[in-house]
Amino acid sequence: MKAYDITFNRRYLFKISFVFFLMLYSILKAQRTLTVAGGNWPVPMPSVTEAGSNYSGTYESIDGQVLLTASVPALLGSGKVSVHYEPNPTWNPNLTLSVKRTGDGTTLCVLCTITGGTTYQAVTLTDLELFRITAVLALGSYSSIPIKLQLTGVSVTIPAATYNGKLVFTIGPT
Amino acid sequence: MNYYKLVFLICFTISSHLFSQLTGNSTLSVNLPVVTLMDIEPTGAISMNFTAPTEAGMAIVAPAINTTKWINYTSAIASGGATRKITASINPVISGVDIKIQAASASGAGGGTLGTSSSEVILNATSQTIISGIGGAFTGNGVNNGHRLTISLSANTYANLSRTNTAVVIVYTITE
Repeated sequence: MKAYDITFNRRYLFKISFVFFLMLYSILKAQRTLTVAGGNWPVPMPSVTEAGSNYSGTYESIDGQVLLTASVPALLGSGKVSVHYEPNPTWNPNLTLSVKRTGDGTTLCVLCTITGGTTYQAVTLTDLELFRITAVLALGSYSSIPIKLQLTGVSVTIPAATYNGKLVFTIGPT
Repeated sequence: MNYYKLVFLICFTISSHLFSQLTGNSTLSVNLPVVTLMDIEPTGAISMNFTAPTEAGMAIVAPAINTTKWINYTSAIASGGATRKITASINPVISGVDIKIQAASASGAGGGTLGTSSSEVILNATSQTIISGIGGAFTGNGVNNGHRLTISLSANTYANLSRTNTAVVIVYTITE
């Protein structure tokens, strides 16, 4: 009878641990999401018409060129949205991409906060934090967070070609 | 843990990865075209006149050297593309007179791979290089930007001189 109890308790403990692990893992992995809307930004490049002149060098997209929808679990509390760029397939390192958040988007969460990223920051090949979302009680979800893009460093000294880049947004733990 | 539980755990882990979207991307494209622009600043003709000697036996007096003109250019070339050069020629050629030109080194507000000036050339109807090795570059616009031109006149074969009042066009060409 005693041996039976020990075996029963071990199996019961294992099942409890297993379920707890699944719950924890699903919270950590499944409830933090990010979606990106907004198509390709073909940077409008006015022609150089005066000999001796260069491009103006700085170009900005419209507000909300990219719209992010991000959510973080209430239990976890917060999430960090980072950004980096990748050549797609060809990019020139003299062309500098910058991004900033021009609004908070929309949310139903009253106590949630979204902070940072409201001034242009250069985007590099490695992830840099853009902004943070913090949830208190409810699921912290913000939709249509407007992102504005800026391109600098445009010059005739850069070899003539078509350059394509990809901005990769990532949400992760703070 | 039996076999089925292990499979379940692995499937759950994979599905968690698949259905939790943690990244997204947006693209952009920049088209930088080939650019070839050149002009002379300031616009307008210059007047260079020989003057008659006041003493019998003396040669005619050449006009003062003109340094009012500047060459401006903008050049964008493809990677590995040929560099550009600027040539000059005159029309018509005046018999007995040498029209000489030399471009100074680039100065002013420009940048990039600016051209290298040649030594002074005597202009004729055939194009001659006055600046070479222009890559992706811009000189800046207007006077005091780019290559200052020094234009001078002199008599060559005195016997070929005849009185004339001829407008001469200096043709500048930027080419690969």
